[in-house]
Amino acid sequence: MSASILIVDDSTSIRVAIRMALTGAGYTVSEAADGAQGLSKASGSRFDMIITDLNMPNMDGLSMIRALRKNPAQCGTPILFLTTESEDAMKQQAKAAGATGWLVKPFVPEQLIRVVRKVLGR
Amino acid sequence: MSQNDPVAAFRVEAGEVLEQVEQGLLDLGHRLDDHELIDAVFRGLHTLKGSGAMFGFDALASFTHHCETAFDRVRKNLTPATPQLIAVILSAQDHMRALIEGDATDRKAEGDAILAKLQAALDGAPAPTPEAPPVVQGWRLSLRLPPEAMQNGINPLALLDELRTLGDCRIVARTDQVPPLAELVPTECHIGWDIEVRGAVSRDDLEDVFIFVLDDLDLQIEAIGDTSCDDVEDTAPPPGAGTTPSALPPTRVDTMPPAQDRDPATTPNGRGAPKTGESVRVPAERLDLLMDRVGELVIVQSRLSQLAHSSGSNATDVALRSISEEIERLASELRDTVMVLRMVPVATLFGRFRRLVHDIARDTGKTIELSTDGETTEVDKTVIERLADPLIHLIRNACDHGIEPPERRLAAGKPEIGQVRLSARQEGGEVVITIRDDGHGIDRERVRAKAEAHGLLQPGQVVSDQELLQMIFHPGFSTAPQITSLSGRGVGMDVVKRTIESLRGTIEVASVSGQGSAMSLRIPLTLAIIDGLLIRVGDGRYVIPLAVVEECIELSLEEDLRSRGRSFITLRDRLVPFVRLREMFATGTKPSVHQKIVIIATGTERVGLVVDQIIGSHQTVIKPMSAVHCNVPTFAGATILGDGGVALILDVVQLVALGQHQEERLRAVA
Amino acid sequence: MTMEDTTETQWDEDGRLEVLTFDLQAEKFAVEAVLVREILDLLPETVVPGADRLVASVANFRGKIIPIADLRLAFGLPSAESTMDSRIVVVELDVDGVPTQIGIRTDKVHEVTTLHRNASETPPTVGLRWRRDFIRELVRTPQGVIVLANIARIFDPLLGGRATPAVLAPALL
Repeated sequence: MSASILIVDDSTSIRVAIRMALTGAGYTVSEAADGAQGLSKASGSRFDMIITDLNMPNMDGLSMIRALRKNPAQCGTPILFLTTESEDAMKQQAKAAGATGWLVKPFVPEQLIRVVRKVLGR
Repeated sequence: MSQNDPVAAFRVEAGEVLEQVEQGLLDLGHRLDDHELIDAVFRGLHTLKGSGAMFGFDALASFTHHCETAFDRVRKNLTPATPQLIAVILSAQDHMRALIEGDATDRKAEGDAILAKLQAALDGAPAPTPEAPPVVQGWRLSLRLPPEAMQNGINPLALLDELRTLGDCRIVARTDQVPPLAELVPTECHIGWDIEVRGAVSRDDLEDVFIFVLDDLDLQIEAIGDTSCDDVEDTAPPPGAGTTPSALPPTRVDTMPPAQDRDPATTPNGRGAPKTGESVRVPAERLDLLMDRVGELVIVQSRLSQLAHSSGSNATDVALRSISEEIERLASELRDTVMVLRMVPVATLFGRFRRLVHDIARDTGKTIELSTDGETTEVDKTVIERLADPLIHLIRNACDHGIEPPERRLAAGKPEIGQVRLSARQEGGEVVITIRDDGHGIDRERVRAKAEAHGLLQPGQVVSDQELLQMIFHPGFSTAPQITSLSGRGVGMDVVKRTIESLRGTIEVASVSGQGSAMSLRIPLTLAIIDGLLIRVGDGRYVIPLAVVEECIELSLEEDLRSRGRSFITLRDRLVPFVRLREMFATGTKPSVHQKIVIIATGTERVGLVVDQIIGSHQTVIKPMSAVHCNVPTFAGATILGDGGVALILDVVQLVALGQHQEERLRAVA
Repeated sequence: MTMEDTTETQWDEDGRLEVLTFDLQAEKFAVEAVLVREILDLLPETVVPGADRLVASVANFRGKIIPIADLRLAFGLPSAESTMDSRIVVVELDVDGVPTQIGIRTDKVHEVTTLHRNASETPPTVGLRWRRDFIRELVRTPQGVIVLANIARIFDPLLGGRATPAVLAPALL
């Protein structure tokens, strides 16, 4: 069965871009438009990986990651966050919150797939 | 913008990035050593390349890659920033814009030509001397993950597998720190590893494997067979030799020197990255949505206050009134706050014109300096967007027709360099943007001749100076003896004027012969909410923007009857045409006994609107008319009243034009 | 079908189409259910002087100004007073990619029903008292013939030929 991945981003363009890249590589993709939605989707079903933006309305990525990691069921689920080169402080905070890794925007589909493969191990 | 189209979103973003790059390049032209500018240009190109590739603009990505590489060299002091290089990148940037617009075919040759020039600009600069990486046979790693790594989604086995893809690996687990079963935390990783990787692997390759845990990781990396490295105390076993795993003593990690200096590239915080978090980027449509919501709140609030004021005097009613007043205050504060959110400094607009002036000067052989002030003046973003085209036209005009060629300037005893000054300032609820040039000014004789030729003025007709100057805004009116390629484009001053008026703004012209001209645009700060005058015509309610209302006067029945067929009133010795809205709207109702004339004015033009009743002032949230009504010219929009009903907003420009038409007819008769 | 009418009736693969049926005078009309956004009681309307008679007024629909259309004019039916049963059917068209809602005044709204292609007749080219291009299909049902109106077509002249049914737009790109 293909790995299922949840994308959490308020930017439709980014979501669409990620979705296209991941489904093209054979992954199953679900989407959420903000942290709150992401959290409820992640609690409702099991994902092999979560990719999230950090700056979002309703609930930002950091809060969502923290909330997810509090849930024992989400222990060990890889969480990638999207960041830009200039956001090193954010990177540290996200890692402290429990994120697995990051992807620097902008990225090309190949980079995305490489990082997803790396973290998933498949 | 389509919600589902990343490409459209990219186009918008890329346009903004290009604008920043252009700014950076133009500034860099003056300060060739400014490293912040160089970095900014580099970052812009880098972003463009990256996101271009991300959204399928491959031609753009590969083209931009070359420019980025060039700037990377500048950034690393391998090549100086030269005016020549900047000029090439500026032209490259136009090419990028074309690629973003989507027309990649037939542009390859153009791009190649630019790249050839880029190469020429770079040649002569010292070539980079690549440092030959030391030859390494392999690496020895000692690794221990932070305890929470597995909880955070790191899969140690995936990391080891990835290492195996780099070269031959020998991996030995260190279990010395695994606690007794009773103390074991199953979600923590207690195992460490000693690893030997053989092959043409760089240190970066290794660190890439651990990129996500590099900062927290207990990792030592040591080269095997690297003679330049002096802390190799071990004699490495020959590759492929059947060394047993125990050949790597488990305690070795403790005797190792601390990790070597990390590559600064992996710790970008050392670069003094700009502080973020002080501002938030919000999509414009969300602001529009917020504005809509506030608009609805203002409407609901006015219903509440209507209800509160019609209620009685018992305790509940009094409390209701006080709550209503409180909400009124909050709603109005909220409205003001949201308006401020939509404000953007005119600097974003002014920035675009430097390139324009630069190009015009180059194409006309004139030397022109553009100076700006008041860039921090803020205007509603919708206004800004719609101001761009008229301003481009006015600046073009100033440069092209206003500023004289250098020899004529010198002959006239003026400095050779022409000055165009763009300034902005706020005056009450309006912003005033002035374009001033020190050219030869508007030739009034020629304007007059042209106006007479067009039948706009009768020979010998006396008009005020401002009225004469305003003639240049008539359609088809151009005073330039010849139309250059620059001022062409088919956009006339009449379009400029119409655009400004559609923003409920006005243009004033000042000009001194031989010394220059100034065009001042007065524009309201915002378009979303206006103060309006609510009136009644027949059974319908309408809103007139209060800003254009000069006065309201009575129109008695007798006067109404007397003026029938004439439709003019005398107001302070001036004939003012008026329009009976009741007739115009064919209401089929009888005139009210207390009709009023609302005098509205734009610039020097006046017109009276006969209405049945003036209801009062009204905070008007402007809503657009539906697309099916876009061909109804009399209304600029609609608004929702306190009772939920709809009132149409009168299009002042159209009505004034109508009044003028009436006046012209009268003149023709007279 | 005229040449410029690029949209066809969107029957599903089993030859069915969900529609909302309504009355204008004695005639039974239908619009594609996918176009319908809402069915409302009559709203207070504001006359727009100078507007086309087909869309002579506007109303406040949830804070948006929407035109209220009288399809009777498009089909040459006499106008009539509204009744207890009169309702507004809000449909959505796509104008240059912007969703545009229009309220249609009806004498009575029936239910959402399914039309069948094999009961449908292409409107005859002659002998019809209505503009043929305003009609997509004439469908026989036990309750009589239902006229499937071509909503985009009817409003097209007012929109300068930019209207497409909102749901069909992506497929046309």
